[in-house]
Amino acid sequence: MPKSTQRLCRRIARAACALALVLPLAACDALTPGSTAAVPGPRSVPSSTAVPEGDVTLRVQFADAPLMVDALIAAFEKGHPGISVEPQYKTFSDYVQNLKLTMTSDSAPDIAQYAVGMTDLAQDGHILDLAPYREAYGWDESIPPVSLDQLTAGRKSEATGGRALFGVPAGLSMTGIYYNKELAEQAGIKGPPRTLAEFEEQLAAAKDADLTPLGVGALTEGGLHLWAALLNQLMPTDDYWDWVNGTKGATIENQAGITASELVVEWSRKDYYHESANGTGQIDSTAQFAKGDSVFLINGNWAAGQLATTMGDNVGFFPMPGENAGAPTVASGFSVAYAVSSRTEHPGAAGAFLDFLTSPEAGQIISDNGFLPPNPEAVAKPEGVLADIAEGHRRAIADDGITTFPDFAAPAMLDRLRSGVQKLIADRVEPADYLDSLQDEWEEHHAE
Amino acid sequence: MPSRPPVRPPGTRGRGAWRGYVYVLPAFLVYVAFAVLPALHTAYLSLFEWDGVTLGEWVGLGNYQEILQDSVLRRSVFNALVLVVFFSFVPIALGLAMTGLLARYRRPGMGAYRFLFMLPQVIPLVAVGVTWRWLYGDDGLVNQAFRTVGLDGVTRAWLGDFDAALVAVGLVGTWVLSGLCMMLFLSGVQKVDPSLYEAARLDGAGPVREFVSVTLPHLRGELAVAMTVTTVAALASFDIVYVTTNGGPGEQTTVPGLLVYRLAFSEGKVGLAAALAVVLGCLILAIVYLINRLSRTET
Repeated sequence: MPKSTQRLCRRIARAACALALVLPLAACDALTPGSTAAVPGPRSVPSSTAVPEGDVTLRVQFADAPLMVDALIAAFEKGHPGISVEPQYKTFSDYVQNLKLTMTSDSAPDIAQYAVGMTDLAQDGHILDLAPYREAYGWDESIPPVSLDQLTAGRKSEATGGRALFGVPAGLSMTGIYYNKELAEQAGIKGPPRTLAEFEEQLAAAKDADLTPLGVGALTEGGLHLWAALLNQLMPTDDYWDWVNGTKGATIENQAGITASELVVEWSRKDYYHESANGTGQIDSTAQFAKGDSVFLINGNWAAGQLATTMGDNVGFFPMPGENAGAPTVASGFSVAYAVSSRTEHPGAAGAFLDFLTSPEAGQIISDNGFLPPNPEAVAKPEGVLADIAEGHRRAIADDGITTFPDFAAPAMLDRLRSGVQKLIADRVEPADYLDSLQDEWEEHHAE
Repeated sequence: MPSRPPVRPPGTRGRGAWRGYVYVLPAFLVYVAFAVLPALHTAYLSLFEWDGVTLGEWVGLGNYQEILQDSVLRRSVFNALVLVVFFSFVPIALGLAMTGLLARYRRPGMGAYRFLFMLPQVIPLVAVGVTWRWLYGDDGLVNQAFRTVGLDGVTRAWLGDFDAALVAVGLVGTWVLSGLCMMLFLSGVQKVDPSLYEAARLDGAGPVREFVSVTLPHLRGELAVAMTVTTVAALASFDIVYVTTNGGPGEQTTVPGLLVYRLAFSEGKVGLAAALAVVLGCLILAIVYLINRLSRTET
């Protein structure tokens, strides 16, 4: 037998041995991945608001606005001397990547910031259903119910029979259009548009004045914010919610989806975006806008602080206008919210902390840190572009028009949306095919 | 008196030969614990549909079937193969050219050259990615350079352009790996007996002839190493793509490594991610085997 053949035989024998070792493992249930992640305790909080006596330490894990969280904790501890809160800050990407492992481990924090993966965790009982607290603490009175309804994970509460609740918001976000007042005037644009058609006229006017009309950071999330903002005006809000929540039979393949996608393409054909929109991230497009590179910019309230600092009175904000002047204000947004782990030993203390987040005192801290407090009436009125945002937010809340971001529809949706809108902007995909790719992903995720 | 053979026939084991294995044991255990077992575990996970949290479901080879059918996954493998050109072929060609230029005579300042060309290899790839994202930006150095020479029509946001993005990302790899190839080849050339060059010159060989007949044959081993390292870098690429384009625009620069990461960590499809990782691993092993086979038969 030649040497190389011999070697080959030996290799095959070795591979067979390895396979023989592995195959029996497959039959063994204990080795099935995920079998150790059983939920130990109850799946819902108690219905009383009693806070335990004695010293309690709550661990809070979060990824957004560390300064705000520190201030909130300090204020909370002052009012609750028995409870100390230990903040554990992680960067957003670390947080989201490890969320599932963290929340299913024995060392899970008592309280954790709500993020996309929470829906699955809630499904499997790793997050406590807070619906009993919603009634006991009367949260519907202290914050707009619409912001709580974002946190139901599309489920019914086993404890109350009503909607479930898997988090309490501390500060909301909202997307919309910023505009450069000087450049707008230069293009003959007088004030925020009242209808979508008027906004299109303004974009055209900016183009005619040899300015770049609209800044879009489509390399990252800017493109999907634009698409969602248009979709919000065209698609009935309830249908949109059904789609994001995964309600059976919901679809994005409808006329509103087509029209919104066609608008994104049409504006690109008319050169309303910066030529390099697909190669520009959200942060870069915001910096370009601040330098005066475009008349409008699609972004969210999280950019308001920076823009107010760099542009002062020269920047304004309006939510994407509806099809006609009387249309409700609808905009995508989500809350920096906190959920409670099913593994916590102190659901009472955690409830007290979450209830504190709905108080006027917490609202002021949230507002001071540049976020929209869930209870805007209770805080001092902000100025400048922050006032524009607060006003837009007030209108959206009044119209029940804060919808969640479209990528919450499925874990993989973010990538489909981002690359899909990039193709729309580059005019490389038919709107119908783009929607089809989204719906495919939706159906795969919501198959069961 | 029958005499015993003085030497054991090759291939049989004498007593005491097992001692050699004892010396290998510690390294072998570490290798098994941190390389072999995780690899087998990955292969095992690839047979499940598992979201990383809840009970997984046995699907056999279903994940592999899905890989073959998914157009995005197939596209990503194609992109990785395109990257091989920029991560492997171009750097090796450049490395050889530079070696040809630098190796013929000793020149002053060789240390400085080596330092400069090796520098990209030392910088963390994430930092490289961020730097190039700026260079390729709208007002970045690349576009500024084009504008300076009057080529305003060429400028674009390179990483956001459907036709240019993959090439732009590939050239970052070229930048990183050319220095490595050159270093490998330069050190290989130093083994060559100087008298060979002298002989070649006496026979009237010019620089090209000298390179082809003397330098190149002596670099076969280094070529195999360079090819292996750079091809693996291309097929398993992740950091540069993740930082510069995150797979965009569209799926123009999506590579398998990026998809493994996305599927496992943000999309909750750990089984599918493991299957893709296994396929990618096998593909890399096959190509590396091929490269080594080719470089061996020539000896």
